[in-house]
Amino acid sequence: MQIHIGKSIRMSDILDGKSLLFDTSIASCLGATPQLEDLQSILQTCANLFNGIIVNPGQIEHLSNELGGKNRAAPLIRIDWTNAYRNADFCISVTDVIRVEISQADDVMDLGGCAAVATLLMGFGDNFEAENIQSISRLIRQSYELSLPVFIDIRPIGPGVSEINFDESIKLGISFMMEAGADALIIPNCSIESLKLIGNWSTIPIIVRIEQLLEKSEVNNLFNIGIEGILFSEKILEYGQFQDNIKRLKN
Amino acid sequence: MYSTSGKTARMNRLFNPNDGKAVCVAADHGWMSDPTANVINLKNILGQVVAGGADGVLMSFGMAQRLGYMFQGKDKPAILIRADWMNLPRLGGANVSNVLPVINFRKMATSRARDALQMGASAITIYYFIGYSDKFEAINIEQAAVFAQECRKVGLPLIIEPMAVGGMVTGVNIAEILIASARIAAEIGADALKIPYTGDVMTFKQLVDQAKVPVLVLGGAKSDVPRDALELVDEALRAGASGTVFGRNVTKAKDPQKMVQDLCALVHGVKTIDEIFETSARRRVKLRADSINCVGCLVCQTVCAQWHNKTFGINGARLRIESKPVEMEPPLNKVSVCTLCEACVKACEPGAIVLNEKGYLELKKELCTHCGACAEACPHNVIWFDEDENPILCDMCGGDPQCVRWCKYDAILLK
Repeated sequence: MQIHIGKSIRMSDILDGKSLLFDTSIASCLGATPQLEDLQSILQTCANLFNGIIVNPGQIEHLSNELGGKNRAAPLIRIDWTNAYRNADFCISVTDVIRVEISQADDVMDLGGCAAVATLLMGFGDNFEAENIQSISRLIRQSYELSLPVFIDIRPIGPGVSEINFDESIKLGISFMMEAGADALIIPNCSIESLKLIGNWSTIPIIVRIEQLLEKSEVNNLFNIGIEGILFSEKILEYGQFQDNIKRLKN
Repeated sequence: MYSTSGKTARMNRLFNPNDGKAVCVAADHGWMSDPTANVINLKNILGQVVAGGADGVLMSFGMAQRLGYMFQGKDKPAILIRADWMNLPRLGGANVSNVLPVINFRKMATSRARDALQMGASAITIYYFIGYSDKFEAINIEQAAVFAQECRKVGLPLIIEPMAVGGMVTGVNIAEILIASARIAAEIGADALKIPYTGDVMTFKQLVDQAKVPVLVLGGAKSDVPRDALELVDEALRAGASGTVFGRNVTKAKDPQKMVQDLCALVHGVKTIDEIFETSARRRVKLRADSINCVGCLVCQTVCAQWHNKTFGINGARLRIESKPVEMEPPLNKVSVCTLCEACVKACEPGAIVLNEKGYLELKKELCTHCGACAEACPHNVIWFDEDENPILCDMCGGDPQCVRWCKYDAILLK
């Protein structure tokens, strides 16, 4: 598939066919979750272990010295905020789920990001979905002019999604976002059958979001069925010495 | 580290590069609430704030236009522009303390980063309200993000002010909300925070540690006791705060200049809080009269009048000797001196009588209404008035009282 040379170069900083990525951006929604209090220290210990790390605009502005370069994770910048992840444990309750943009394509470029990351929240109703899709479409078109890759983070977590239609919701989101022009997709872990189908079907890189540490065999299984990357959420910080596990996966 | 050298330079204009700390005064209340005395008298108050040595002053775009001339010079405070407007102080249909109460909580962006740069500002400040409603919080986040992007482009620091307000905020969860909001604001793009104290050192340290940007603690509601306000700052500094933003506790203070001086001394580590109040109240000299030793020579009154008024005689002396004749005996003399009981300070409603930086009485003539309340309140009857009806106050000769120095009979002593 032909894409801009600029996009191609930036994508190659992040994805090499068996990429490991890390997402720290939850803090814009929940504040600092356990172990995520000192992001600078975390980056200093693990930036050389991952191909890419998702950060919020405010953090990359102050911590750009900790990322990028030949031997460290490329920065991917989350361009939206949502309260969708606040559950009953959070200090204030949520009545209306909302998503807003907190950065634009040109801002991501100014900040030195290698890609923009936007969220597709599924299952929150028709109007929400329509506005979400429109917003992503606009981002993709702006990013196209700047040769900035756009990664879409598909999150089927709304009340309209259940165990029954979970996998199908993911596939629906993949279909929409490929049509919209996304350059890579982040999807939740689902059934192995669905992952195989997705791996064969998708013409853009697929990255699977994982909430716990994996064994090397599990990681290899994913790469063997066409998944090009694994994104670890902030939850792996709760496992002490997670860096050792990641090192084993890379070797 | 900041994304541009512009941001670095402007942060250093506000936060002292030697210690990374700042004392700011918020003078933007007139932009959002009813015109109280500190709003009407803003120009005079700001003059005192500037003289007090504040590192920054927060004001509206309009006030920066009109009063910006007061901030010219390296030694003058940096200008911070309030870039949004909100109606929270007037919220509530039953809020009769305000002229026009409002029902709907609104917050609007009113200046851009470029506008602030035109005013020579070193930063802009915006609110981030959390706890009122999901929709309102999302609007706040979106506005903050737009400001953050513009500030990045023009190299202007962004100070976000998280405020926990609304039905979802309780005494139980407010600290947790403030801690979360501080980190959220930093993630969105704050270069510094202006935030209320969480109530204790431990939780505020959590907030500071998680924010990872300079945190300026708010001074809070007007306190009648200056020491209480400074103790809040002292606690916040111990928790890692980078300074403070005081509003009404400075602009409504009897002596805004002294309040700012005390804050600067505390924040920049020149004095501890005990030293500040000890200098004001304890290290100052006080007089004690021992009337039994008084022989009625009146040297004390003579030297007092000469020292202050350059006159010979006892008129205008700041102490009083009363003599009562006793048949066949030396007269009984009563020595009345100022004991710094501060009754006159408390009685002076316009705040014309204050304690200066050494802790001695000082008259601010421009505020004196010649009402005479000070003289009426003085338990020792040692206040009288000059030809312009200004009260004459004992100033302890600046710390070296001449009456003590010249009394040979130990009738007037240092306490």
